[in-house]
Amino acid sequence: MAIEKDLKAILGKLKYSDDAKVAQQMTEQMRQVQVRMAGIKHKLVVMSGKGGVGKSMTTVNLALAFARQGTKVGILDVDLNGPCVPRMLGLHGQSLTMGPAGAIPPVGPLGVKVASMDFFLDDASPVRWKGPMDVSPAWLGLMEMNVIREFLADVVWGELDYLLVDLPPGAAADKPPVIAGFIPDLAGAIVVTTPSEVASDVVQKSVTYARDMGIKVMGMVENMSEYRCPSCGEVNELFEGNTEAMCEALDLPLLGRIPFDRKLARTFDKGEPLLDETYPTIQRYQDIGGRIRTLLDYKTVLADKL
Amino acid sequence: MKFVCLNCETYMNFEKVEKPGENTLGVFFGCPSCNAKFSMVTNPGETQMVSSLGVKLGGRTVEAEPFEMTRGTLKAEATAGPSQMAAYLNEKIQGGQPAAAVTAATSGTPGEKSSSGCPFSAMVAEMGLTSSGKPGNAGAATSEFAWSSDAKEKLDRLPSFVKPMVQSSVEAYARKQGYKTITLQVMDDSKNDSSNGTTWTPEAEKRLENIPDFIRPMARKEVERVAKERGMATITAQVMDDVKEKFLKFM
Repeated sequence: MAIEKDLKAILGKLKYSDDAKVAQQMTEQMRQVQVRMAGIKHKLVVMSGKGGVGKSMTTVNLALAFARQGTKVGILDVDLNGPCVPRMLGLHGQSLTMGPAGAIPPVGPLGVKVASMDFFLDDASPVRWKGPMDVSPAWLGLMEMNVIREFLADVVWGELDYLLVDLPPGAAADKPPVIAGFIPDLAGAIVVTTPSEVASDVVQKSVTYARDMGIKVMGMVENMSEYRCPSCGEVNELFEGNTEAMCEALDLPLLGRIPFDRKLARTFDKGEPLLDETYPTIQRYQDIGGRIRTLLDYKTVLADKL
Repeated sequence: MKFVCLNCETYMNFEKVEKPGENTLGVFFGCPSCNAKFSMVTNPGETQMVSSLGVKLGGRTVEAEPFEMTRGTLKAEATAGPSQMAAYLNEKIQGGQPAAAVTAATSGTPGEKSSSGCPFSAMVAEMGLTSSGKPGNAGAATSEFAWSSDAKEKLDRLPSFVKPMVQSSVEAYARKQGYKTITLQVMDDSKNDSSNGTTWTPEAEKRLENIPDFIRPMARKEVERVAKERGMATITAQVMDDVKEKFLKFM
């Protein structure tokens, strides 16, 4: 039997050198994100605590609205498990082109560049990761955050005026505001809600949480404000709620209201988005896009108009 | 992670990483003094830990490929390997006992739970929240003020979560102004009242109206902030000019 050795005494005599450099590798990862994002003027996230309120529809249409105004736009779809931006823009089935400088995103209507988990998946197959994911969801959280980190670090966007990031649904302890915290020099968050009280309740929580994380919440978009009957043309309210009061209470500008528009939604479902800027609902998106630009240039507006 | 050669009392050197099988890594170390060789073999959990972090054992030697981790960890085909890790643990570590039994035995010491059964009850109590998560006094709408019927109606139309916030801010304003009754007018006035007690000259107020309405509240706050910085209680045209000049610098 060997003599008992005192590890503490041995280590005291040795000089420790960190060969693995795990912390350094992770710092390098974050630096990569910074470098990659540096060519993007305005980075915005689109979020809502509630699912199904139309985040992706809003993201895509705001991107198209910005592009129509002659700016360079990208969409990052970080809903890893339910990516739908590519399908809406008719890009489903395409993929990122891997090159030495990074992954080159496919280009959709009006020159909008798109990166999405969808580009890594087959039809109808969910994201499945290797490894013992069934043992603990903690792995999954770690994995997913790192996948998102790769989306931020490895996509070759080039110079962009706007990058719109479509976040998955979720409010607080879930990831969305944390993901937003990942993005360097984030200009702010656009919050999407429907006028229902259930949605606004959850949306309010995500606004508070985002603010706690130091994310500037720029304003609220009310989606599905009203419903136009396709046969008789009558406009009715879809929900009963008071988004204005919520905006007032949260001290947020209401950026605009979007009606539930079956005709427009169908074109996106089919991957052949309607691009006609004279179409009334699209005009509403144009207005919201204009307001967001004003908010981003708010200092200039103040200097000019005050 | 480091290995120490206890015979030579020195750190062993990292040599290489190999992949002897799916979900496992073999990390090789050698003692620089006695030349002893070691290979540490990771179990699936440890392997996952390393790959989830997107780091390389032993340090990165080549530049990362784009989407290296995403592509490397996505399952190629749809064969969802069920309970790989559980089976592994069961077999290698727990000597064939059902995994659930072991988990139950190791998690949670008896008597740790509070009497209510909720581990967060103490925290909830401390925060003054009821078990439903709402502030304890939110439901009680007892007010020291008389609300006119139209003002009350306006308040009641607000979503339930907004109501207490609006009510308390209107009442705080009424208290400050010495009002006993809250009318629609008081509600409106309270909206324009700033918490720092600044007042606006009509001229300054008028100039604020040049700002598009949806960013006007932000502009109002910005102007008031500048006024406060300069110790001025009234917003005059001069303060407006100062703010304007400040923002001209950003153009």
